[in-house]
Amino acid sequence: MALVIREINTRYGRENIGFLWIIGEPILFVAGVTIAWSMMRPALEHGLPMPAIVLTGYVPLTMWRHCLGRSVKAYEANGALMFHRQVTPLDIITARCFLEIVGVIMAAAIVLVAGVVVGAMEWPIDWGLVYLGVLMQALFCYATALLMASLSEYSDVAERAVGILSYLAIPFSGAFTMVDWLSPQFQQALLWSPSVNNVEMIRAGMFGASAHSHFDLIYDLWITALMIVAGLHLTMRVRSRILVQ
Amino acid sequence: MIHCVDLVKDYPIHRGRRRVLDHVNLDVSPGQKLGIVGRNGAGKSTLIKIIGGVELPTAGRVIRSMSVSWPLAFSGAFQGSLSGLDNLRFICRIYGLDYSETRRFVDDFAELGSQLAEPVKTYSSGMRARLAFALTISIEFDCYLIDEVIMVGDARFFERCKNELFEKRADRALILVSHDMSFIQEVCDTAAVLSNSSLQICPTVADAIDLYHHL
Repeated sequence: MALVIREINTRYGRENIGFLWIIGEPILFVAGVTIAWSMMRPALEHGLPMPAIVLTGYVPLTMWRHCLGRSVKAYEANGALMFHRQVTPLDIITARCFLEIVGVIMAAAIVLVAGVVVGAMEWPIDWGLVYLGVLMQALFCYATALLMASLSEYSDVAERAVGILSYLAIPFSGAFTMVDWLSPQFQQALLWSPSVNNVEMIRAGMFGASAHSHFDLIYDLWITALMIVAGLHLTMRVRSRILVQ
Repeated sequence: MIHCVDLVKDYPIHRGRRRVLDHVNLDVSPGQKLGIVGRNGAGKSTLIKIIGGVELPTAGRVIRSMSVSWPLAFSGAFQGSLSGLDNLRFICRIYGLDYSETRRFVDDFAELGSQLAEPVKTYSSGMRARLAFALTISIEFDCYLIDEVIMVGDARFFERCKNELFEKRADRALILVSHDMSFIQEVCDTAAVLSNSSLQICPTVADAIDLYHHL
């Protein structure tokens, strides 16, 4: 907890609205993209309302990209923390991800409420599936961050690759398409991605049966658990690789 | 006690690796005042960081059966973009100290006044040393690790440091890295010389200083 407060102070300082930026930043993003896309594209895409499609797609993608971005060289940037033996790399990355994930979820909730109030969106039909999808996505983001934080300390190539990776990953995020819209061979490939499964889950909750969602919760659980275990394994070993000034 | 068992530390360099510490063994008992001397780059700071747990050894281990401070040095331990007060709050949280009491002590000792609310990166090295020193001794460790840092303060600060460390906390152990031989002679009861990646523990402080001058 102390790390979370410290991270907030470090990133947002004590000036003006300070820590509210944690929510404010993603709100501006999510709301901006939602409004822009809703104006550029037809109101219905494959029978689904555009604003809600953008919201349910862009929020998981933003969560993932923020976690990934904050995890690169997270340990080196926090070298000063290594002076305290009780602070471990796992604590550092957990604090960072916690902040990003909570910030994005709160932003999404605010945009959803605003969307419903102005009449651009409707409440989800099945809240349970929405929660499940968001939870799985949060775990997936945490897993990616664990892996990337360690890998970026091991190799510079991994660090450089992040920018390209996060760009190339957009089609595999499920953010702007639904599996059902695509041809069968692409469908199978996309469903390898945990993020696609999670977005489909959220949309199934949001729109109900009209979304024609495809997802495999068992596969999603397995792959996410595997990534977390691999990430934890690396995180436990990364300590000796961190150079402190 | 602190036991350092067969410590080895390698750093990756441009081609291959460089061995900074080669099978270093060292024991520090409660109340002992150990001075470590050696040329620049001999690995003194590395050794003290490993003892403090900031860096991990390539091989060997450190067994700590008393509480050991973080290495008090010119850099590190603080987040530069945070104010002195935010750093203080963080230290209080992770070490379970009472904030207002610690704040009073640090205010009184470091004499930084309103500077304390400014980011640490705007501090001079002397001010940083004061804050670091005040924060370190506000936590009651059994053993303090000090890497040169006391020497950057002014005369008055130096006297206060000596008072806090060697009079009020005379029963604590201390590992001190310094190039100031008269200071080592004055405050240490044992000393060791670090050269060619190995540590030689000398029978008396005078022997260590003698050896240092012949390096």
